Amino acid sequence: MRTGPDAYALLDIALTTLRGAVLPHVAPEARYAALMVANALDIAGRELRGFDASGHAMVVALAPLYGEDADDALAGEELDTRVSALQHRLCIEIAAGDFDHDGQDVLMDALEAIVRARLVIANPKAAGQGA
Amino acid sequence: MHAANPSLSPRAPMGAVLNDESRSRLEGWLTERAGASRVTVTDDGRLGGGAISVNHALTLDIHGGSRAGRHACVLRAESAGRIAASIGKRREFAVLSAAFTAGVAAPEPLFDCDDPGVLGPDFFIMRRAEGVGAGFAVVKGDAPQPDLARELGRQLGLLHRVTPDAPGLERLPEPPLCPAQELLGHLRAWIGDLARRDPVLAWGLRWLEVNAPPPGPLVLCHRDFRTGNYLVKDGRLTAILDWEFAGFGDPMEDLGWFCARSWRFRRVNREAGGIADRADLYAGYEETSGRRVDPKRVAYWETAAYLRWAAIALQQGERHSTGAEPSLELALTGRMLPEIEMDLLRHLRAQAALAATARAEAALATPPAEDPPVEQVA
Repeated sequence: MRTGPDAYALLDIALTTLRGAVLPHVAPEARYAALMVANALDIAGRELRGFDASGHAMVVALAPLYGEDADDALAGEELDTRVSALQHRLCIEIAAGDFDHDGQDVLMDALEAIVRARLVIANPKAAGQGA
Repeated sequence: MHAANPSLSPRAPMGAVLNDESRSRLEGWLTERAGASRVTVTDDGRLGGGAISVNHALTLDIHGGSRAGRHACVLRAESAGRIAASIGKRREFAVLSAAFTAGVAAPEPLFDCDDPGVLGPDFFIMRRAEGVGAGFAVVKGDAPQPDLARELGRQLGLLHRVTPDAPGLERLPEPPLCPAQELLGHLRAWIGDLARRDPVLAWGLRWLEVNAPPPGPLVLCHRDFRTGNYLVKDGRLTAILDWEFAGFGDPMEDLGWFCARSWRFRRVNREAGGIADRADLYAGYEETSGRRVDPKRVAYWETAAYLRWAAIALQQGERHSTGAEPSLELALTGRMLPEIEMDLLRHLRAQAALAATARAEAALATPPAEDPPVEQVA
């Protein structure tokens, strides 16, 4: 059984050490690779912490289209399955032309909210950039 | 080509890569090809900026023959995992030759080789150009660079004077009957099943289908013409690089790609590649191309640019995930998808607003018809 710091804490301290004790001394030819490592650790940490929050945000984003209530009790795989099912349904409707003439504003709002929820994990800075 | 995180500096030279044996084979092959009495190759190290091709800086000392002298060159070889949009090194050499002949500021192509006995993969050698290429370094200055944008427009105009009947381009795939439909077919294949799971990609593909323009003139397109793929020295263009995606297509395609937000390197308000206004690029283009820029068509191709970049990023991520080429850079490129999708949505919002304004102005200008026009997807 695990007794030490958990995965979140390990990732945090690894990143802090990389930034504070390693990056300043990395040779120029290895700096790009070192920055990529820091970026990857950052993304992994945000994904571990924020995966469910991102899933809930996507369900909320799709509510204006499908009227699904955000069920806060859903988590992990179950939540992921719910989000995937809603997104699949939307993909089918889009491809069938359901939004060719009407409902584009609602659709665009939903799509933007979905992408924003994913950007919170992948690249939070890009989520905030203006149009 | 595309770096996983453009905010990071390009990879520095990574040391010599040719061993004594392969250098000796290369020297023998070059001696024959150059009609020389002897060629000496000095390996100046691997160059950065290539996630699809492998670039080595070389110095050739050619003794005898028509190219006698010392030449600073780049050897460009196929890397382990080619992605679907890439045309391969022999075709790239043919494109580079056609562009160079047309007067485009492309590195002069010198030798190409498809004999696996020399180095293994196909490769070619071109002259090395000087200058800064990394996107963030090019857009760094506070002042816009309208002269640079205009010159890039002129260069693109020269390239677009090359048509499918130009000599030497027989190696390229047949010109498409309809470039928009052809790309749509490729995108569907590249994106595959994800279009049934990711509604942003589904909407992008649908938008491209509904708004596809009819075919027009076909020209030689670069297909990766953007900030980050040209070199600048003292504010002036020295060379346009990375011709591995070139092919025949709609001339507005390259303009849409150049202006996509993905290649502005956080200078989002300088819509021409983060360096200047679109008007500067377009003015240069019209000077040399012999045609007018069609902003609506450019906007269509900008939408296509986001879908195409998304498909390429996905493929780069897969090169890592499938184990074909384990690489942190490729893995991170795969994780750029939501960023590219946000750029796509911002662009589609802007297009929808433009279309709404145009409809409102048209409604004011004309009396109402008996049957109101069907609202288009836009």
